[in-house]
Amino acid sequence: MTWVADLRSAALIGTGRHPVPAPVPGLGFRPPGDVSPEELLLDQAALADVITRAARRPGTAEAGGIADPAPADDAPQATGEAARLLDLLLSQPPVGQELRTRLVIDWLQFAARAGLCVPHRSLPAVLAMAEARPAVAAQLFPATGVRGRWLLDIGDRASVTVSGTATTRAAQKATDAATEFERLRHSDPAAARDRLREDWDGFSARERAAHLGVLATNLSLDDEELLEPALDEKAKIVRDAAAALLDRLPTSARAQRMAARLAPLLRVKGLLRKQFDIDLPPDPDPSAVRDGIAPAPRTGEPDRLGRLDAIVRGAPLDVWTAISGRNPAATLAMLDREPRVVDAIFTAAALRSDADWARALLDLRADARLLGCLPAAEQEPALLRHINGGTLQPMALAALLREVPRPWGLPLGNAVLELLAAKDGGYLAEMVSGFLPLALPPAAAEHCHHLLQRSDDDAGRRRVFRDVVQYQSFRQSLTEAFQ
Amino acid sequence: MISAAPDPSSLAAARKLARPGPWSETGSNDSLVWGKCQGSGKTPYQVSVDVAAPAYRCSCPSRKFPCKHALALLLMWAREEMADGGAETAAFAAEWASQRADRALTKERRQSEQPADPAAQAKRLADRLSVMDAGIADFARWLTDLVRTGLAAAHNQPYSWWDGVAGRLVDAQLPGLAEQVRSMGSDVHARADWADHLLFRTGRWWAISKAWGKREELTTEELADLRVTLGWPTPSADVQGTEALPGPWLVLGAHRGDDGRLQQQRTWLRGPDGTVVVVLDFAAQGEALATPQLAGAVLDVALARYPGTAPRRAMFIRSITPRGLADNLGEGCSIAAVLETEAAAVALSPWRERHPALFAGVRVCPGTPGSLQDGAGHSLPLLDAPLDSLLALTGGHPVDVFGELEDGRVRPLSVVVNGTVLTP
Repeated sequence: MTWVADLRSAALIGTGRHPVPAPVPGLGFRPPGDVSPEELLLDQAALADVITRAARRPGTAEAGGIADPAPADDAPQATGEAARLLDLLLSQPPVGQELRTRLVIDWLQFAARAGLCVPHRSLPAVLAMAEARPAVAAQLFPATGVRGRWLLDIGDRASVTVSGTATTRAAQKATDAATEFERLRHSDPAAARDRLREDWDGFSARERAAHLGVLATNLSLDDEELLEPALDEKAKIVRDAAAALLDRLPTSARAQRMAARLAPLLRVKGLLRKQFDIDLPPDPDPSAVRDGIAPAPRTGEPDRLGRLDAIVRGAPLDVWTAISGRNPAATLAMLDREPRVVDAIFTAAALRSDADWARALLDLRADARLLGCLPAAEQEPALLRHINGGTLQPMALAALLREVPRPWGLPLGNAVLELLAAKDGGYLAEMVSGFLPLALPPAAAEHCHHLLQRSDDDAGRRRVFRDVVQYQSFRQSLTEAFQ
Repeated sequence: MISAAPDPSSLAAARKLARPGPWSETGSNDSLVWGKCQGSGKTPYQVSVDVAAPAYRCSCPSRKFPCKHALALLLMWAREEMADGGAETAAFAAEWASQRADRALTKERRQSEQPADPAAQAKRLADRLSVMDAGIADFARWLTDLVRTGLAAAHNQPYSWWDGVAGRLVDAQLPGLAEQVRSMGSDVHARADWADHLLFRTGRWWAISKAWGKREELTTEELADLRVTLGWPTPSADVQGTEALPGPWLVLGAHRGDDGRLQQQRTWLRGPDGTVVVVLDFAAQGEALATPQLAGAVLDVALARYPGTAPRRAMFIRSITPRGLADNLGEGCSIAAVLETEAAAVALSPWRERHPALFAGVRVCPGTPGSLQDGAGHSLPLLDAPLDSLLALTGGHPVDVFGELEDGRVRPLSVVVNGTVLTP
């Protein structure tokens, strides 16, 4: 035992119950003759303190534990006003959370366009923000540059060496694999399909269903070869997942089978052929059950309407126009007494992004999912028609506005501002406050400024207008700073 | 200016106010900025700021200090957005400035007129010494009790036990020692190496009590260091007139800390002949600390040093004129050399716990808590360092780092990157 260790145990237990060690001769410390054990221990503790502090040695660096230095930057750092504005956004944001995130994204985009990168000093704050907000993470490169990439890399390494037990790591691995699969499906749909086919046998039913769900991204007829056999799976969740995807492929074999089931149920009736007569489907045969139509339950009545829904959702929409001999709008007019069937057609059109039907259906009712099916150029006029019609509830309108591509055109922008400024526009203002500043075109900011000048008791509404003005003016500063 | 704000909300409020709308009769001269701000009340608030001191005054009832009006006024002044109300100083501002000058004058006069009675002064000193003697004797007894019953028993004591001992030390006019004992009360529970920490610290306290007993044999410097450790400060008035070390002084780095009751600001400076000194500023919670100096700035100012061993505490004795920015901090050393210097400093002044250190060509390495590594393959752990910021600024390349060495770890205060001195 070393002298210091001896000293420590004596001190911990106390001189009352433990002898005090003798000083090491080499230290040249000679206690005076008659001191108490306490003083002898304290004297040596004082000595040990000074010796420890005066004899510090540097630690040795672990070989390989140190990351390579960052490579040289390939773009100059932003300076001056641009750097100042970013610093302001990160440390003293003049706007709310959501706008601040948006402005940081704007900054990153401006910088990327100008061939500049985030000043090194601001990198930690930007990267920390990206961690919590995927929208910022998507814009990190090229604006954070070589240094940002390097920081992310060493951050990963540090978290790997620190991260905990085996179970959390396994769980982490599973989530990583899932995100990786999603990313692959996004960038290379065919490769993702091939990967799933290879891994299929090794997966549990739950995993198969989850992976099928990912195929919804970039779905195409090529995926049918994987989906059709999945209808024979033993587990219901896998079959349902496959059927749900096939609902979105109107040219698939299953859709043709559904068409064959739907056509016999439809008849045009009336002297002027103004109405559809729709029969309920018969009890399903084994092939229909395989396609996802509910078999008769063991007790009670079968859900025949539910079966009809399933057939309408699965069949191509052409079946309707073929039998009516008219265009979608006129066909829908023949279904005005069948709201439930229209609902099913509605779902089918939205799932397949069928623009022709979406156009016709939108005239019946405004719905955010359908609006997204239209080409971008048609969305705003369609929405404007509904706004001018004046039938939309604020809740529904807000949902629609959220889907329209940004920035809006001036006519839509002004129309919305008129609605907000109207006597009872406060409620709508509340609903759209999150995205209005981002959606309005710069040209509408002037209008907003006027609205803000007006006296208004509704503090919530004033805040919405003020956000718009602040966002636009900050964005203007960004534009100037990056010129 | 931003660091003068007591909290972020005041600053946000000030930003909103910093537009010409509510202001009238604004103006500024060399040392004063003033203006009237229309608040919620009927009469506008009269706001004056002495930018040289800095000092603030406002007639508003806000308990924040400085209040948003003063901050807003400063903001506008800094942006040169003030509608100039003429060169004539507004009456209320001039009045305030002259009041302040009067007060300073009376204070000074009182101080300079006082030491009239040497006998009374000697008696006060003797009284203080006897109180301290008794306190030290009591403390030494407590230390012997501590090691007789064992440190393990002390580890089980509640915080109030340590606080009680610290309280007795404060009564004995030994606040520096009291502070050490008080923080030990939390350290024994917070630190994994508490047993060694407490053992060595007990030894150091014992040595302090012994040294106080033999204070007649100590040199002036040693006694001065001991006084600092015990918490018996040298009045700044005693230092003021002693010397005037001319500049230019280079700001090596600065640190702002807050122990919950007192804010402290340490500014490390190096003179033309290589002398390193530290300027300490204190302020109570909620008060404004002196204006921080930028690391790498070269200051034209004269300094007077407090007694003690190097690096000594110093105070500015004239107003500061910044002369520009340095592109480096000078010649640094390796980690091994820095530790050797520390060892020499400990031998010279065993009570000092914090040593300035300038490292040359060290790389910042990630980890918990991260470390510095030099070309010789040596490493030194970092102490409450903003690691992300350090890595972002240096990119893992070798740089010069100035920091404070404390308990075998280094607190980095400034780094030199591409010819610029930066604060991480």
